[in-house]
Amino acid sequence: MERTVTVVPEDGLHARPASQFVETATEFDADVRLGRADADDLAPAASMLAVTGLGVSHGESVRLVAEGDDAEAALDALEAILSTPEATH
Amino acid sequence: MDATDISTITPLELISLEEPPAMKEDAIEFLLDLAVDAGRVDDRETALDALLERENEATTGVGFGIGIPHAKTDTVSEPTVAFARSTDGIDFDAMDDEPARLLFLILVPADGGEDHLQILSALSRSLMHEDVREDLLEAERKQTVQAVLDEVVA
Repeated sequence: MERTVTVVPEDGLHARPASQFVETATEFDADVRLGRADADDLAPAASMLAVTGLGVSHGESVRLVAEGDDAEAALDALEAILSTPEATH
Repeated sequence: MDATDISTITPLELISLEEPPAMKEDAIEFLLDLAVDAGRVDDRETALDALLERENEATTGVGFGIGIPHAKTDTVSEPTVAFARSTDGIDFDAMDDEPARLLFLILVPADGGEDHLQILSALSRSLMHEDVREDLLEAERKQTVQAVLDEVVA
């Protein structure tokens, strides 16, 4: 299952949001991959290096693809992180 | 990161093959001092504060034995990447618990716009390749490190 989400945090998928994203991705019984909405290549969501390597900015759309028992719950949690502006600055 | 720019982003004096200190904050200062000694940082304390503030927000230990402390700060006037490596690795609070052996310090001017994210993502993408990591770990000369970094951004 998959969905496309716009990245809301001001710094993009970077720093704390990226860290939260990766930690969350590893918590579920699901294999989650992500990439730019228009790209075919997907990177593992559980790798901080891979997520950093995407260099996704604020306002860009990313495609999340999840497989596994917790796929839907994982997508819900990850979408929540990408949709939350950073509170502390 | 423009491929023609590696000698300005990472001149040889920003590459160290010496052993950095074993603690994370000390290692960050070691990398910063490469940039300071090269005359690329106007105010060391300001740069250090920015780096540590970013580090407090979320670790730059991205796994695979890599640490990429970085900050946007007006105390540099051009994008600057310093390199060092640690034989035993440094605890960088990485999620995969791998000690960081390859260390990159990125400083980009505050008004550098997307430069910051571009350098960081280009570096991260290339470092996902094991052969790139091995080349950097095994390089015996600064020129070799610089050549690898040049290919990273080519």
